[in-house]
Amino acid sequence: MSTFSIVSGRRLLIAAVFAACFVSGPAVAGMLQDTIARYTAEVTSADKGFTGFSAERGRMLFFSRPATGKPDTPSCTSCHSDSPVTVGQTRAGKEIAPMALSRTPDRYTESKKLAKWFRRNCKSVLGRVCTAMEKGDFLTFMATQ
Amino acid sequence: MTRVWDLPLRLFHWAMVVAVVVAAITGFLTPEWWLDLHSVAGYALGVLLAFRLVWGVFGSPYSRFRSFPLKLSDLHQHLISVLHRTPRIFVGHNPAGAWMIVVLLFLLVALVITGVLALGGRENLGPLAFVTVYQIGNISREVHEIAALGLLWAVAIHLLGVFVDTRIFKHPVLAVMMIGNKMSSDKRANGPDGTHTARGAVWFASITGLLIVVGVAMASVTPSGWRNIQTPADYVAECGDCHDAYHPSLRTAAAWRSVMNGLENHYGEDASLDEGTIADIRAYLVENHAGTFDTEVANRIGRIDTPSFRMTDVRRWKKQHRDINESVYRLKSVGSKVNCQGCHKDAESGRFDDDKIHLPSGDKS
Repeated sequence: MSTFSIVSGRRLLIAAVFAACFVSGPAVAGMLQDTIARYTAEVTSADKGFTGFSAERGRMLFFSRPATGKPDTPSCTSCHSDSPVTVGQTRAGKEIAPMALSRTPDRYTESKKLAKWFRRNCKSVLGRVCTAMEKGDFLTFMATQ
Repeated sequence: MTRVWDLPLRLFHWAMVVAVVVAAITGFLTPEWWLDLHSVAGYALGVLLAFRLVWGVFGSPYSRFRSFPLKLSDLHQHLISVLHRTPRIFVGHNPAGAWMIVVLLFLLVALVITGVLALGGRENLGPLAFVTVYQIGNISREVHEIAALGLLWAVAIHLLGVFVDTRIFKHPVLAVMMIGNKMSSDKRANGPDGTHTARGAVWFASITGLLIVVGVAMASVTPSGWRNIQTPADYVAECGDCHDAYHPSLRTAAAWRSVMNGLENHYGEDASLDEGTIADIRAYLVENHAGTFDTEVANRIGRIDTPSFRMTDVRRWKKQHRDINESVYRLKSVGSKVNCQGCHKDAESGRFDDDKIHLPSGDKS
């Protein structure tokens, strides 16, 4: 059993690095790359046919209007504005820096913060936690903007 | 020819007119963020009045209060003679004028004292901020407003008196208050004007200097109702990401506990945090709750609990902001009603001074 998990862990890591290289343009760097690799590993462990995250699926998620969460926040765009490259505003009036990595290069550099905001905002907008697939797609989309 | 009003007295009179006009405009007409200019006018009045009271004892003969004809029988007689259009001519004040000055000086002194108390108690500013609690400041402000209305009436009667004297009885009292001389055979009055001017200048400079030194020293003592507290970095980072890092004095300890224990549903959003961070922030908020501050905002809004815990649901909040157009909250620089900092530039310190209010442009006051 333990042998199996070591082997499977290694295989996952290789897959993750491979997948990360696959999606990463020059804009995706450092910490964000690591995070995407982690999500890749997570998705791959459940879905062997996984071929990588999609910026297009991330875009659809960002602009979708699930309205399954809290009534004041039906969509990501409720607070983050209608474009990843423009500033948003919290419901309390604070400015939110653009989501696109190109506009806010230091945005995805802290894993604790990233986990916090995915936890909070997925609950607020979707009414549930996001899957690793959704998070990976979302970050991939933001990395290419 | 007698010099009735010495130069220091005349300068006092006209300087006071300027200060009262400024104080009246900034007190009655302009919005509350003109408070700083109003205070400057008040301090100037305080210095001028202190000089006048001293000059009433040590000044030239007609400036001294002892020379005022304040006997009530004289007043009665004088008013009767005015009605008969045969008033006696007085070199200094006539009895009505003398009483007028007493009333004016009394009201002005009361205004300065209640003004400084209101400033200290409500705003935690000025020389008496270190001893004046909010309630005293609040009562003082009520008295201040009544005295201000009283002063308006007193000034109106004063001007009426001047009008009657100049127009009906052809006494050039206005010219006398400017030039100082009056045709009179009374020899009581004066030495050469120069000696009064020099003595007046020395008195005035000494009184001004003393009041400024003492006043500044008193004003620099920590105010009784407000203290500077260190905001934890966690609080600014976690709570300040979405809204103002509200000062702890804006809510009660019970409200802060409830808010911090219900972050999963925080005004319609999930604002959950890890337990350690929650505990740190909660401790800071509860320790510095509204009951530990004696500011206007802590007294009138912070200490009032609402079922939603929102301070914008406090009746006083609504009353204070009733003239603010809803469109102001939608301005980009404000964003929402709960972004205090959008207009109250000192919101994060918990002071909410009147003169730190800056409505964003494009707004009606």
